[in-house]
Amino acid sequence: MSRAGSTDLAVELREVSAGYFVAEGLKALRRKYVEVLRGVSLRVDGGERVAVIGESGSGKTTLLKVVLGLLQPMRGDVVVLGHRIYDIPERERWKVTRRIGYVPQDPFRALNPRLKVADIITEPLSRLHLPEDEKEERVRAAVKMVQLHESVLNHYPSRLSGGMMQRVLIARAVVHEPELLLLDEPTSALDVSTQAQVINLLNGIQERLKCAMVTVTHDLAVAQYLADRAVILYKGVVVEEGPLDEIVRNPKSEHARVLVASYTLGVSNPPIPASFV
Amino acid sequence: MVLAVEAKRLSVGYEELEELLWAVREASFEVGEGEAFCIVGESGSGKSTVASAIAGILPPHAVTDGELRIWGKLVVKGNERSYEGVRGRLVTYVPQSPGASLNPYLEIGDQFYHVLNNLYGLNRREALEKARAYLKMAGLEPDAVLDRYPHELSGGMQQRAAIALSLSTGAKILVADEPTSSLDAHLRLQIVELLKRLRVEAGLTLIFITHDMLLAGALSERIAVMYAGYLVELGPAREVLRKPLHPYTSMLIESVPVLGIKRPLKTYAGEPPGPGKLGKGCPFYDRCPFRLGVCAAETPPAKEVGESHHVACWLY
Repeated sequence: MSRAGSTDLAVELREVSAGYFVAEGLKALRRKYVEVLRGVSLRVDGGERVAVIGESGSGKTTLLKVVLGLLQPMRGDVVVLGHRIYDIPERERWKVTRRIGYVPQDPFRALNPRLKVADIITEPLSRLHLPEDEKEERVRAAVKMVQLHESVLNHYPSRLSGGMMQRVLIARAVVHEPELLLLDEPTSALDVSTQAQVINLLNGIQERLKCAMVTVTHDLAVAQYLADRAVILYKGVVVEEGPLDEIVRNPKSEHARVLVASYTLGVSNPPIPASFV
Repeated sequence: MVLAVEAKRLSVGYEELEELLWAVREASFEVGEGEAFCIVGESGSGKSTVASAIAGILPPHAVTDGELRIWGKLVVKGNERSYEGVRGRLVTYVPQSPGASLNPYLEIGDQFYHVLNNLYGLNRREALEKARAYLKMAGLEPDAVLDRYPHELSGGMQQRAAIALSLSTGAKILVADEPTSSLDAHLRLQIVELLKRLRVEAGLTLIFITHDMLLAGALSERIAVMYAGYLVELGPAREVLRKPLHPYTSMLIESVPVLGIKRPLKTYAGEPPGPGKLGKGCPFYDRCPFRLGVCAAETPPAKEVGESHHVACWLY
């Protein structure tokens, strides 16, 4: 499937500051504003693969919430798929957000335990007014795309393993063929071999849908496989931005240097498996 | 060489719903004094269960078989277990998630006092004095930590405090169960460095549990690879990384993303079988690209291939 406007801008954030109001004091009478994102600017072109890299508390997930139309920023402009999303009334925002696919962080907690897998994956299609048989067709296609057996459609999530749950989440995120795919730590809850399967799967899907893909992760090595360009976030500020290979080879900011250095594991001569050379 | 840990056909299972599920099956291995030994595996491989058996913290409903010795003292024989004088004194344990394992209602100093008072009857002053020394060793400033509650410390500080607390008992075998998996990348490196340093400074025998082959290679001298409760490969770290024998070991190595090296990630379809889901034959049979006729019928025994390099696979 190709998209006419695949070179268009998928996301643009200009000087965005956002945060949360936190209850303060014994009776929670006062509310304090805690700023998480501080003047973040970011551009993602259509069809582009971008990673947002940062440690816990750097504002990665908050950034995704802002893009998803779930958290109104205090300052700055947010343009998603050509719309200033916060200028649209909240009730109408789904018209833009239905063109987004989202894979939340923890597969073990992100699936409704009372719904069968088939119903979970059908949900994003509910506003598209498709005939029933086409809906079923699309759900089957999505399940096939994530390499699950059709029999899982009749299961409840509790019967699935972590890797299978993650695939169901991905199927739900791509069933409506989104133009923008947002992934929040898509592999951090998985084992290494399952992680590799999911990485290969996501790249296959991105290539097929030609969608923009934004991956939020704390793992530079994983990002290497899921993105071409990276934005490094530290305490809510973008400290470095550029081609991922370039950042890995020649990190400019102090924080990026620390990140890259932490992968050499502090050994001067690590035993490199023969298959890597 | 004195053996710190010696396991002979050690099996550990859990009783669930009137069914006995074996999490570890007939594992035999030895860890020498002062050695750094890594057990690598994915979830459900049984690696944490081996760690619990060594540390003496198996739950009461666990069922054991075979033998386990700590410093020559028999702690597991068949389904009999006795860790008296071993747990805490000879062997100590660093858990996976420090935030969830430190007592949230006690200041760090009090946690040291409780442990040391229980084990050795130290009074508060003596316990705090000891705490200071071990916190310093773990790279923390004692005054900034002793009168804090765990939630007032960052994740990396919590893990350091947990390590100091474990070591303060004077135990010489440290079992660390994925101590870095809940930490950010740059803290992971610091904790690994800390463990390497402590091993030398305190003369520890280190038993490290991880799912990361490369981390295991950087930290340890020998690696044991577990799959579905079986120990499938055991050998010197360098050998195992450079010339993995078991197909599962090569898959583990080649499915890890490595920074700065871009190569296709190798995967074999499927996931590890859940406990009790195993039939006859090799546990890796369903996913193995090199399987033979015999693999379906019989579980391969461990064989020595090369110097102290063992593998349980019919290919050898």
